[in-house]
Amino acid sequence: MAPKPPQGHFNILYFASAGSYTSKNVEALPAPLPLRKLFSTLEERYQGIRASVLEHSMVTVNLAYADVPDEEGPEDKDEIVIQEGDEVAIIPPVSSG
Amino acid sequence: MATQDPDPQEPSLSQEGIYVALTDSPLNLTSITDRVRSPQAGAIVLFAGTTRDSFDNKPVKELQYTAYQPLALRTMLDIAVALRAKHGLKGIAMVHRLGVVPIGEESILIAVSAPHRQAAWRAGEEALEECKARVEVWKREEFEAGEGVWRANRDGGRGERVG
Repeated sequence: MAPKPPQGHFNILYFASAGSYTSKNVEALPAPLPLRKLFSTLEERYQGIRASVLEHSMVTVNLAYADVPDEEGPEDKDEIVIQEGDEVAIIPPVSSG
Repeated sequence: MATQDPDPQEPSLSQEGIYVALTDSPLNLTSITDRVRSPQAGAIVLFAGTTRDSFDNKPVKELQYTAYQPLALRTMLDIAVALRAKHGLKGIAMVHRLGVVPIGEESILIAVSAPHRQAAWRAGEEALEECKARVEVWKREEFEAGEGVWRANRDGGRGERVG
């Protein structure tokens, strides 16, 4: 399991093609972070990851699937903000069996 | 509620008539069959998925599986609970192997038992299809030529080249 993230951070897990693209399985990113900003935050760090990986992937926050809101879309007061200590994961298309 | 098995070699979830697990070890056909055995069952259907030595005629050297373990177990449990209710199963067990799986060995085993064979056949097939569509496990094929790809079940496509 991933080490606990440092204070003021959350862990993000990269599986399969996400791990290949970032060359890591996990890293800690600064929290809080509105979920709608997740993809642009990752794109800044890993240029091209949005088109190659993120647009084909799903996202979980603390083991629950979450819809990533459109960054340019209208604000919704109920939308998810990733908090310190949360565990976020990038879930590319699965291939069990 | 599901209970968590303390065995660190084979993380699992179980509840009445249900067992799901992930393991780094070779899979055992007899032990998964025994997990669903029931005096009320007239049929046990066992599915063994094995690793194939080629993709699109390209020779595959080995396959490697990785999982988001807590989520994969939870999804497997959801599938098992739903199918047990839908088909009136006496038992359902699913175990997926992780890490390197040599060619020709089992990567997944599914066993279901039911009073009659029709329900067991159907449930076994549905369990596999649901797993392939949903369980958070990923397969990487290492080709003899040297490169590797993460496979995606969704589209049956070629997967993404990872160098």
